[in-house]
Amino acid sequence: MDQATEHSHDSQGSHDHPIDLRKTVRTYLKVGATLILFTFITWGVAYFVDLGDEHLNIALGLLIAAFKVTLVCLIFMHLNHERGLIYKTLLFSMIFFAAMMFLFCLAFYSPIEDSFLKP
Amino acid sequence: MQIPYEVEARPDTGLYNAKVGIWLFLASEVMLFGGLFSSYVFLRLGADFPWPFHELKVLPGFINTMVLIASSVSVVAAWASLKARRYGWYQVNMIITLLCALGFMGIKSYEYYFKFVHYSLKLSDGSVVAGHPKHVDDTHHGDRIAFQADRITINLKSSNLEFLDGLRSGRENAPYGEPETKELKFKTKVEKPDKSFISSDITLTDSWLKEKSEAYWALKEEESYAVIALETQKPLARQSDSDGVKADKQTKVDAINKQIAAVQKEFADKAAAAGLSETILLESAQPLTFLNKEKGLMKYGASEYSFREGTVLHGKLLADTIQFNVDTIDLRQTVDIEKSLVWKHLGTELKQRFMRYSNERVEEFKKHRPKIAEPEKNVVCQRDSLRVEFGNEKKKFMSEEEADSYLHDEKYMISVPRSEKRFYSNFSPSLSPYYAIYFLMTGLHGLHVIGGAIVLGWFLFTGRKMYLRNPEHLANRVEVGGLFWHFVDLVWIFLFPLYYLM
Repeated sequence: MDQATEHSHDSQGSHDHPIDLRKTVRTYLKVGATLILFTFITWGVAYFVDLGDEHLNIALGLLIAAFKVTLVCLIFMHLNHERGLIYKTLLFSMIFFAAMMFLFCLAFYSPIEDSFLKP
Repeated sequence: MQIPYEVEARPDTGLYNAKVGIWLFLASEVMLFGGLFSSYVFLRLGADFPWPFHELKVLPGFINTMVLIASSVSVVAAWASLKARRYGWYQVNMIITLLCALGFMGIKSYEYYFKFVHYSLKLSDGSVVAGHPKHVDDTHHGDRIAFQADRITINLKSSNLEFLDGLRSGRENAPYGEPETKELKFKTKVEKPDKSFISSDITLTDSWLKEKSEAYWALKEEESYAVIALETQKPLARQSDSDGVKADKQTKVDAINKQIAAVQKEFADKAAAAGLSETILLESAQPLTFLNKEKGLMKYGASEYSFREGTVLHGKLLADTIQFNVDTIDLRQTVDIEKSLVWKHLGTELKQRFMRYSNERVEEFKKHRPKIAEPEKNVVCQRDSLRVEFGNEKKKFMSEEEADSYLHDEKYMISVPRSEKRFYSNFSPSLSPYYAIYFLMTGLHGLHVIGGAIVLGWFLFTGRKMYLRNPEHLANRVEVGGLFWHFVDLVWIFLFPLYYLM
């Protein structure tokens, strides 16, 4: 945590510690290349890999997307070394997001009966 | 006024203020897009039509993903360049980011354009064909309704001359020709209260319509003031009597009503004498041909054609079919594919070819997916065997020569009576919930790209002064703009597989 805090101070922009541009950009390029590679993998999985069930294919595709998003968040958006306030803020929206993603379940547990639809 | 903590971190949060601000904003954005992704899942799971997966062209979406990833790298590299005090590299990286944004929007516009000019026609038996309405020329009316009118009723209350946009020609024997801009001369007919008519010759122009409309409404206004003045006397007439003398009250009210009727008649006579009426009938010496999209019409029949703004054409319906160049056949919602209405228009040769193609795809599916007990009920098998998009499957469905020319081949041109149509729309939000949520989410995402590009462009073109004054301040601004830009990329990382691949 101490190390994270130290990093965090760096990312806030201390005048005294300019970053090593070459090294940092190299890291970003590597992450970019990984993202591109996984875009190819997502496409390949959708068209050429058959897991026997469409739902499994969708799940795998979303899993790869989630991995890519994690990389963007951690490296590009510096969430691997941020201040606690940001994580707390994001926690609220993640709970909301998760609730939204399960909201449609209500429609399946409480469907509109046919008898209501018939005149 | 100096805004505090623009550069240095605030002691209690440990962050400079703009960073707290952007993260709060991004948190709200997560909730906004979360709601939309939830709607997508809801629509997909509850769809009562075959969800159009693998129907969008993957390449543009794929290139756009690459473009956004590249821009994410360049924007974070721009920030790193500022931290390393390399302004030149910062500029280069920002320019790359903006070019990527431009490229992304260019590709997106290309995708949208081809969807807007591509149409889907669902027939009454559930069969669907997609393609392009035939281009309107001298002999084709495309997807327009053709009507020949010799009389037009103009409503001075609501008519405008927009109905003339559908006017094609005033010539005989060239019903669908190019629009003509010659002056339109009519004989007007206004009915007087005694049922006789006042006639005059006019040239139909905006100024004529405006003048008539203003004169008529000035008269109507005058009339309504006079009527209101009389109406206000009614409550007084009722009050002035003692209670219980109903007959007396009624006599006074009746007298006022008579006065009102007299005023109304007086104004009707005045209007008729000036050749004014709420509706004016225009008679043309020669029949005029109109071609209009169904959406612009209120209703139409064999002898009448009404526009939403109130103008009515009188004459005869010339053609009420949709002339359409087919490039896709989709029979997934057809009960009996052999008896599909599509074959009535496309012919038995294509029917046999489709049946053969369909059986081959089912066999292929069985070979690759032997564990699936009822392949005919599987959505992938249905998509592969009951839907054929000539552009993608031309090698399997048609010969090389035919594939090069099917867009202009008469064999693939159908003329469907509108009575056989259940639904007709271009590939826009109105086509299906899939396209509605597709345009909503990608459109909203596109707006984010534009907004982000404007902000980053602002930093690029106006940042030099700030950099010289305090480079860290500019670095912080770019970091905040970059965070938003990464969020835009992040949303697209989910949108791409959901819409293009799954």
